[in-house]
Amino acid sequence: MSHHAIKAAGATVLAALFATTALAQDGPIRIGVVTPISGTYAGIAQQVTWGLELAAKEVNAAGGIAGRQIELIYEDSEANPAVAVQKAEKLFAVENVDFLTGTVNSGATLAVGQVAERAGKLIATTVSFADSITGDKCSPNVFRVNARAGQQSAALAAWLKQQKPGSKVYYLGPDYEMGRSTVAAFRSNAEAVGAESVGEVFAPLDSKDYSQYFGALRAARPDVLYTSVAGNDTVRLFTQMDEFGVSQNLTILGASGTVTSQNIGAIGDAAEGFITGVGYSTLIDSPENREFVEKFRAANGADPDLYGADSYGLIYAYKAAVEKAGSTDSEAVRMALEGLEWQTPQGVKTIRAGDHQAVQPMYVVQVRGGQFTIADRIAGEDAIGADACERF
Amino acid sequence: MPHVTDYLQFVLAPQMLNGLALGVSVILVALGLTIIFGLLDVINMSHGEYYAIGAFGALALALAGVNYWLLIVLVPVLMVPLGVLVERFLIRRVYHGADRHVSTLLLTFGLALIFEDLLKIIFGPNTHRPENPIRGATEVLGVLIPTYRLFLIAIGAAVIVAVALVVYRTRLGAMVRAAAYDSNMAASLGVRIGWVYSGAFAFGVALAGLAGVLLAPVYSVFPTMGRDFILMAFTVVIVGGMGSIWGVVIAGIALTQVQAIASLIISPVWADPIVFGVMVLVLMFRPQGLFGRLGHA
Amino acid sequence: MRDRLEISMQANHGLFAALVTAGLIFGAVASATGDVFYLRLATEALILGGLALSVDILLGFTGLLSLGQALYFGIGAYVSALVLRAAPDFWLAIGAATGAALVAGIVGGLIANRVRGVYFALITFGMAQIVARVVYNTRELGASDGLIGVPVLEIPLGPVSFSADDPLGFFLLTFVIIGLLYGAVAYLLSTPFGRVIVALKANESRVPYLGYSAWAARMAAYVVAALVAGIAGALYPMLRGFVSPELMFFASSGNALIMVVVGGVGTLVGALYGAVVLTVLKSVIGSLTEHHLIVVGGIFIAAILFMPKGLMGLVRPAMMRWLLARAEARAPRSGAVRRTTQ
Repeated sequence: MSHHAIKAAGATVLAALFATTALAQDGPIRIGVVTPISGTYAGIAQQVTWGLELAAKEVNAAGGIAGRQIELIYEDSEANPAVAVQKAEKLFAVENVDFLTGTVNSGATLAVGQVAERAGKLIATTVSFADSITGDKCSPNVFRVNARAGQQSAALAAWLKQQKPGSKVYYLGPDYEMGRSTVAAFRSNAEAVGAESVGEVFAPLDSKDYSQYFGALRAARPDVLYTSVAGNDTVRLFTQMDEFGVSQNLTILGASGTVTSQNIGAIGDAAEGFITGVGYSTLIDSPENREFVEKFRAANGADPDLYGADSYGLIYAYKAAVEKAGSTDSEAVRMALEGLEWQTPQGVKTIRAGDHQAVQPMYVVQVRGGQFTIADRIAGEDAIGADACERF
Repeated sequence: MPHVTDYLQFVLAPQMLNGLALGVSVILVALGLTIIFGLLDVINMSHGEYYAIGAFGALALALAGVNYWLLIVLVPVLMVPLGVLVERFLIRRVYHGADRHVSTLLLTFGLALIFEDLLKIIFGPNTHRPENPIRGATEVLGVLIPTYRLFLIAIGAAVIVAVALVVYRTRLGAMVRAAAYDSNMAASLGVRIGWVYSGAFAFGVALAGLAGVLLAPVYSVFPTMGRDFILMAFTVVIVGGMGSIWGVVIAGIALTQVQAIASLIISPVWADPIVFGVMVLVLMFRPQGLFGRLGHA
Repeated sequence: MRDRLEISMQANHGLFAALVTAGLIFGAVASATGDVFYLRLATEALILGGLALSVDILLGFTGLLSLGQALYFGIGAYVSALVLRAAPDFWLAIGAATGAALVAGIVGGLIANRVRGVYFALITFGMAQIVARVVYNTRELGASDGLIGVPVLEIPLGPVSFSADDPLGFFLLTFVIIGLLYGAVAYLLSTPFGRVIVALKANESRVPYLGYSAWAARMAAYVVAALVAGIAGALYPMLRGFVSPELMFFASSGNALIMVVVGGVGTLVGALYGAVVLTVLKSVIGSLTEHHLIVVGGIFIAAILFMPKGLMGLVRPAMMRWLLARAEARAPRSGAVRRTTQ
């Protein structure tokens, strides 16, 4: 066999392997989902998956995006940026996805955002809170459709000003970027409305026992505790505070990921009275939301939380943008997404062109009887904060 | 000096008491680890997963209506066959190779990966929490301490004493210690080494399961929970002296007290590096740990 | 005179030649089909293969199990990323990473080589945990988010220059560097000093009687392993454009260990095969099932139980028998082929 023949034969074999790629313009629109299906954030990934699936099913049943069906392609990021980056490259290069979402931890969102920028593709996060993603580390190829730490804090601070003016606030956050970013954002918002900060502590992620911080917490004698722990950590923190009687006479505020439908069952009574500023609640009283909650429950046997709702909404944003742009070309879709207004279960959202951050109404939500009841609503413009992105 | 007494009573004392409850928890997990090492010379990297399996077992049985107090006995008993199976069919196969330290460590590391994934497949990724069997708090030195934690300290102490009695004061324990000291000699004296090894491994696994039952109401239950205590437990075992039961007790209490008091002074994010630093220092200057090995001292 | 170690090394070189051939064919075909992803995945596999090689130097030749080798990989990666962000120069980044790995390897070696056996495994684990935690908590190093924004590098190699973004070019460059590391380590082990290192595993207490310092030999092996991991790590941010603390975590060290065991302990080249197999396997089964941990864990356990010399153990004995027979045929009179070592 000649050299050429070998090369040609090899090329055919590899081409067969590599070639799911060439897609006709009328084939399905492929959306990649790199999400931490295994590891600490698996519960969040489940909500993300449920939200995306539900929206894709609806859109497909209604004729797809500009006549093309949506196909979701999943990869497990193992909550590790190094894995997320490799999987994102695979989705872009081999699966030839048009768009990518699903990243949870901010490290993964930032690293995958850079991959997208270098590949000339777009991504959106529906989960990461860290302000830096649409702030000092913003990228022209990265969008965020969920509320960032600053928006949540602005809503919560507005409530604090009204209900607990001049309180003494203690902060307890997890020691990773999402945790530090939320504490910093709330601290500046709270101090701006006249609250006094009496101490802060950052606990390692996956701490088993928070009782060791209760001494310092008690000694500071706060009236309000702000926390941004999430997932399993919240279950432990809240039940341990309850056990030790620390939560008595203490109003507990937190980030929107602190208590969600995934962990509220495990927290039980200890979640009672918890208040957060969040972009979503199942009790938002609108026909769109009632319909969404009903469909979500029917499909998954569980309530949607903010991650499920924001992920659901993303599919409709992408649909609107592609139809407006008339193609899935990244440049055209970026232009269409900038300034886009679209309907979501939590009301109309707008993507700010200057930093790619979604502007949306924020809700102050309080847990009463195991339910997220709405205590207050803040207009999107009042919560959004300044555009700190300088790259585009 | 009202300030100082206030601080001692309301900050330092509860802090130390909490540290004690945490210390007992760590010791419960570390006991099985040290017995398995002391006797079989196996670094059991899957020990945290037995703890998780015990906790999930308790959760499932509690949902099926089994009384909590019964679980404390039932779950460890149910863990025994698992331990025997793992020892007989996996560990024993590589046990007599040249690098048994390495191969058993690697083998149990592989097992840990599989167990964790299996728990997620069976129970899903989310957190569960069994109902706390003893609610409410008790006043100790003018500070409220959850009654369940006091119970935990008491039962932990009882378990530690019971384990020590079994190992140091019974004929069974004597056989185990003999096998640990010199397995050939013990075998020639009629000790059935194979059963001693299976039994000791299963005993360690059952202790991990017991820790899972006891700690589930405090620390909640989820598939990756096995990673939680394991680093601390390893550190305690190393500092105390691998294989030493009293070493584990003393190191467990000392290290958790250091952590509890340090977290009042420095940022808790440095607690982990400090604990590992202590471990590295002990390994450097006294690798056998503070106390000798099982069967050797 | 030819002995068992030399024959064994020859078999490894044969297998390495096979890997190079396969790599070149793969590179040619992949670039002919315009592939990007698999070339870059293979590049990552080779970089991780460097880390696995470093684990095998210790485990396979001195008998010391390191549970924290990712520490040096991470140091190489972070130093390289920091240098590249400040001044995008290939040689500067490699040089700085090598220097940092050398210093860290000496410090780590002085600590770890006080103990042996399981204590060595645990002390290396502890050191890696401490450094990973410190990096994780240090904002100047990007803390938990890591550092992004490592620029796409222009790599000057004498008369030619190419971009790290060029998948084939960077694949070949990585192949050359990992190949050089493999060659250097293999050469070192064949020198008299290298034999002392190998003798450590066979019977450490005898080494001093031969007039060698066991400590110095172990120390040398440890520093060489750190250098190999550090240089491999330096390549990582050039490929992926970022670093994160996860690169130093136990999962990273554990993965390298799985690669070595699956590939074949004590063969050097097995580490590279193991890295390729595991990286490709993870990429493929990761897309098929979310329960890839069970698959990887199962393969790992199966390798420990049924393939004590890993994948290399399947082909190497036959190769060595052939090489031995050839050596005996060539030197019939001297009868000098010693079969006793190992």
